[in-house]
Amino acid sequence: MAAPLEGIHVLDLSWVMVGPASARYLADMGADVIKVESSKRIDPVRTLGPFKDGKTGPERSVSYHNLNAGKRCVAIDIRHPEGREIVLRFAQWADVVLESFTPGVLETLHLGYSDLSQRNDRIIMASTSLLGQTGPYAQGTSGVGTMGAAMSGATHQIGWPDREPAGPWGPWTDAVTPRFIVASILAALHRRSRTGKGCYIDVAQAEAGIQFMLPAYYEYAANGTIPERRGVAGSPLQAPQGLFPCAGADRWIAIDASAPTAWEALRVVIGGDLRDAKFDTIIGRLRNRVELDAAIASWTQKQEAEAVEHRLQAAKVPSHVVSTSGDLVRDAHLLEARHLNKINDPVFGEADIEGPRFSLDRTAMAATRRGPRIGEHTKEVLAAVFGMSAAEIAQLGEAGVLA
Amino acid sequence: MLDDVRVLEISAPETMLAGRMLADLGADVVVIEPPAGAAGRRIAPFLDDIPGIERSLTWQALNYNKRGVTLDLFSADGKALMRELAAKFDVVIEAADASRQSPLDAIEFSPRLVRCTITPFARTGPKSEYASTDLTVMAASGAPVMTGDLDRSPFFFPVPQAMMEAGADAAIATLAAILARDGDGLGQRADVSARIAAMMGSFGQAIFPGSGNPEPKRTASTMTIAGVQVPSVYECADGFMLITIAFGPVFGQMTQRLAKWAAEEKRLDQRVAEINWPSFIGDLSTKKTSPSDLQALIDGLKSLALSKSKAELAEASRRLRLLASPVMNMKDVAEYIQYRERGLFASVSVEAGREIDVPARFAQFSNYSIEIKRPAPGLSEHTAEIFATELGLSKTEVQALFVAGEI
Repeated sequence: MAAPLEGIHVLDLSWVMVGPASARYLADMGADVIKVESSKRIDPVRTLGPFKDGKTGPERSVSYHNLNAGKRCVAIDIRHPEGREIVLRFAQWADVVLESFTPGVLETLHLGYSDLSQRNDRIIMASTSLLGQTGPYAQGTSGVGTMGAAMSGATHQIGWPDREPAGPWGPWTDAVTPRFIVASILAALHRRSRTGKGCYIDVAQAEAGIQFMLPAYYEYAANGTIPERRGVAGSPLQAPQGLFPCAGADRWIAIDASAPTAWEALRVVIGGDLRDAKFDTIIGRLRNRVELDAAIASWTQKQEAEAVEHRLQAAKVPSHVVSTSGDLVRDAHLLEARHLNKINDPVFGEADIEGPRFSLDRTAMAATRRGPRIGEHTKEVLAAVFGMSAAEIAQLGEAGVLA
Repeated sequence: MLDDVRVLEISAPETMLAGRMLADLGADVVVIEPPAGAAGRRIAPFLDDIPGIERSLTWQALNYNKRGVTLDLFSADGKALMRELAAKFDVVIEAADASRQSPLDAIEFSPRLVRCTITPFARTGPKSEYASTDLTVMAASGAPVMTGDLDRSPFFFPVPQAMMEAGADAAIATLAAILARDGDGLGQRADVSARIAAMMGSFGQAIFPGSGNPEPKRTASTMTIAGVQVPSVYECADGFMLITIAFGPVFGQMTQRLAKWAAEEKRLDQRVAEINWPSFIGDLSTKKTSPSDLQALIDGLKSLALSKSKAELAEASRRLRLLASPVMNMKDVAEYIQYRERGLFASVSVEAGREIDVPARFAQFSNYSIEIKRPAPGLSEHTAEIFATELGLSKTEVQALFVAGEI
């Protein structure tokens, strides 16, 4: 069966992570996604690792492929008047347009929603930026996902009390925001199929991040408590629950035996000090948490993390190795799910990238293909979409429009 | 936008955000809980730090805009009522875990129904029977091992995250199946693995080995450049500020502007401020610059940050076009004029007579607005109403179900 978005055309004017990751969701669902990039101003994600075999180069970033799998790429200088006209013509072709410029830039280029919707009033256009398109600080504000994490209240809560906040890993809101963009676009596509109405969608990355932190926001808004960083994993209301060291450098196991049945099972597996009567009750385990954690750690630290996971899972104790990249590529679940897919790139050869984030049992998702090279499909797409002749395309090339 | 879509959500921590996102986008979402209440009602924090079945703030945050019923899906009566209800809805969202089979497996559904199932790992295969909680699923995502300082244990979020990651992807998977159904009228099953959803936040940890790269190690928020520790988080007068220090022709200009301001504020030597920061890295090799210059810059910035408030530094960041933001706590978020004036917040009741403003509008639309139309349902709040309108049960029949413990 056809993938759910088969026949949907997406123009991806975005770069780095949030926009491209959103468009990747749509490509995975079968949409025809055309990424617009200029060799004069390449997607900065091409400067981010991992690079194949650690050697840098604009066509060697594997992260780029992970974010742009399954798309085609047309090289256009959108600041050139004829380049701008091509973008407007793509707007007539497109069902969905995504962009992540600093707010105000596209309007300056006369490529904002009002310009695009004039050509195609059914278009669904999504803009994403750190703070959104409206409000006192929106226009002209650029940002990255570490800033989104800081402004969503996440960074403040992750760290050791005796050190400055460490924050979440990486540009965190770049992973959170695409979910809200994609859900909004899909809802808009559903409405359009009934009403013919398109729309403009504005998603602020810092605001999207707050959604994943909402319980902590409520803690302040309802209780007046400002949640602070507290270091260790695990809830102060549940024990044992946390991370425990294993044999080897920086090896950890996450164990959550706070539920009574899991606790009894853990007690049987580890035995020893855990049999002490002071750990018999929930209140006892919380009051003696330091000793409890120490007793579990003294058992885990002599063993390999995988071995601990297997022994505890055999007893139905919730547990998992704190997975490293090496663990992930060997992971039985991910192998069975075929989550990693081999790509073969003409520039650097083979690498692994991730597959779709969910599966459907009737309408397949699109097969995972590598991302495009800069301008790889320019001629093919201009000929197929606009019926341009080779001579017209060559002329645009000479004029510097297709760079 | 989804006003013709009707969703039954069999409540679990992982379904809560999925149902709420769909409800925010206009779907009619009915959450089904066991008679004793859903697991989400026992997740901290609690209103006024007093526990209670109606007091979980996590429940409230992730269930507004829904109606709620109770039903024992493991009983024969519960299954029969569920089958009848499902016939009137478009979507069922559930989370199945290893400890129990989905009660929905025994029910024959209409071919038009979209059934979205969230599992910790997968419905079948390796690890499908793993005992899991939010913490252990997050551990498997590849993100925590990269979070924090290498000399101490990795970090996890203080707010459960696997349920957020899985819930958000379940909303997307459900919508994908709805769009497929818009085309051919047929439903299907959508499967979301909480572990794979959470891997989104690992930023491709899994692609390192296959691209011929060593395993990355966590480094917290500090980079080492030319032997100098370059932090990204700086203590300021009333908290912390995130400041990105970068070099090169584009981003290096920000460092230049920042250095100039630090010198104006007498926190940095004029000579250091005048160094060509965009070309600093290249100039190291020709000895035009030295690591001690970078150290002087960092020391100057630390001193500058300490002398200013978050608000003053944020103002400077806008004026000097820096990649810098205040490290906001939830009070800062609640008071931030940008969020306020943009219309992020909507008001919701947390108990009778007590309303708070919450960040509700995760997206803004030219011709639709996310609103909070109703607070999270109280336990069984809409059971009688929904069983009467959807299933035509009489008042006597609804009472009979209650007496029997089915609702």
